[in-house]
Amino acid sequence: MSEMALSVKGITKQIRSRKIVDQVSFEVKKGEVFGLLGPNGAGKTTIIRMIVSLMKRTSGEIFINGKSLDKDFKGALNEIGAIVENPEFYPYMTGYQNLVHYKRMSRKPVSEERLWEVAKLVKLEDALKQKVKTYSLGMRQRLGVAQAILHQPSLLILDEPTNGLDPQGIREFRGYLRELAGSGVSVLVSSHLLSEMELMCDRYAIIEKGKLIHIETMAETTTVKQDDRRDILFATDDSESAKQTVEKQLHFPVSIVDDTRILVSAAYKDAAVINATLVGSGCNVYEIHFEKKTLEDRFLELTNHTTGEENQ
Amino acid sequence: MIALIRNEWMKIFARKSAWVYMLLIVAFVLIAALFYNKVYGKDDPNWRTKIEKEIKADEALMKKDPEQYADLAPTIQKNQDYLKYNINPDAHSNWHFMNNVVIPLGSFVTLFSVIVGSANVSSEFASGTIKQLMIRPHARWKILLSKYIAVTAYAVLLLAVLLIAGYLIGLLFQGSGSFHMKMIENTVGDSQYKIKEIGPQFFLKFALYLPSLVMVSAIAFMLSTLFKSQALAVGIGIFALFITNTLGGIILFLMNRYHWLKFLIFPHLDLSVYAYQDKLTDGVTLPFSLITLAVYYVVFMTLTFWYFQKRDIAF
Repeated sequence: MSEMALSVKGITKQIRSRKIVDQVSFEVKKGEVFGLLGPNGAGKTTIIRMIVSLMKRTSGEIFINGKSLDKDFKGALNEIGAIVENPEFYPYMTGYQNLVHYKRMSRKPVSEERLWEVAKLVKLEDALKQKVKTYSLGMRQRLGVAQAILHQPSLLILDEPTNGLDPQGIREFRGYLRELAGSGVSVLVSSHLLSEMELMCDRYAIIEKGKLIHIETMAETTTVKQDDRRDILFATDDSESAKQTVEKQLHFPVSIVDDTRILVSAAYKDAAVINATLVGSGCNVYEIHFEKKTLEDRFLELTNHTTGEENQ
Repeated sequence: MIALIRNEWMKIFARKSAWVYMLLIVAFVLIAALFYNKVYGKDDPNWRTKIEKEIKADEALMKKDPEQYADLAPTIQKNQDYLKYNINPDAHSNWHFMNNVVIPLGSFVTLFSVIVGSANVSSEFASGTIKQLMIRPHARWKILLSKYIAVTAYAVLLLAVLLIAGYLIGLLFQGSGSFHMKMIENTVGDSQYKIKEIGPQFFLKFALYLPSLVMVSAIAFMLSTLFKSQALAVGIGIFALFITNTLGGIILFLMNRYHWLKFLIFPHLDLSVYAYQDKLTDGVTLPFSLITLAVYYVVFMTLTFWYFQKRDIAF
């Protein structure tokens, strides 16, 4: 068995002369939640569709749990559970019939008990005998999770999974994801919602204009090294005089947030010095807060965009 | 493969329409039986004397003015054959009903098969569930084949419903008749006729109806796969079904001048003429029609499966 749940090697999708996806390579480790980030139209969905074989590749290789998608199509796809965009079902059948439908399509035998166990996990066991057309969007999403994990796949692929979900639904969904990742399932998730991805992923790749431009772990993104400059927020009596004090005596760049709060760009250890200086020059300090770096900041930094999500 | 077919079968019957079509067929047979009973009434026990009278009247006319009434000769001959073979021209039995009513109602089986068959593929695209099917560990062509098998099985079921309903309702309204009763079958082109046994003649017509069902369903199945549109598939399928009679006649007429027209699919979609005559026109016999249809069938199916196998699903 391979160490990697998914390994994508130089995949390219060319439609006529346009390269929609260009030489993308990445790997998803076992038990990891891996995010594909990028603006709409960057090629995330195309990458995912090539992995789940909905689209053909122009070139490149894909291995799922070590099984080549080209040489062992059935074996490779059997390792996958997926929700591609909205989870679609047959509305005229019951939730149970829909699950039986997908259960029959698995190459691993799935027992009746397993079906009910999954239904229970997504809290649908009471609604399973109802027709899917009576389901709410949240229930459909949960049924989507149920069909994706029914055959105990080793890799779960989710394309824009939280599209159209309300905050509670998103939170619930995140819970399932964490639970699954905890049980050793690897997850590949794509989204353009950065705040969502920040909460979900262990590691992420940024896709822009069909190219993979960066991969790093979420921990690397959000933790700031001791010596790195960061934004430190000071709440004082008067921003104007506090700004002058810090600028004149310590030469750190300062910006004013409002009447009482300023942002100083400095390293972690400098905070104590700034505090002492401010207090020493008669400026009372009420609060010191280290601004955390967000994925959004990092994303914009890497893609050099000023308006992130709106860019195509 | 069995699991895939069971899935498709389940999806067909999860829709109410699948049941409605079966009920409709029974209803149509019933309605037809009521009309048939009203229009044709009961057997005339004195039919022999009636025909004898007709013959005498016609013969008298012939004698009076042989030139004017020369065309009565075939009629007289036919009437004499009625007497000779003991065929009551207005006879009633469930087998007459099968011949005259059940065969034409086959069009409805084609119609419903086309609707169900084309919905089967196109609705997967319309609802997006096609994605869920394609990400499973099954070859695409197998998924499509399972759909085709399920749809074909449904058509067979509709046929069985038609046959059983036709037989039972015919029995109820028209009474039982001998399977081997003789009947006179008029040919289409000239005023010739043949003497056939009624039961075998029914099954011959039924067998000749099957290729058109298979072909029209295959066309609809192909179109729904290629264009993902049920409306288009049903529309063209029905068009092909009904245009055959009209266009078939025109093509038949033109075929004597343009011989390549015989390679078109249209004149061959309605094979029922072979129940009355041996050839459609010069050089176009039943084997020729069947081979032409088989070639079209192979082309349609190859195109359908090839396209389904290679297409990207991106929407």
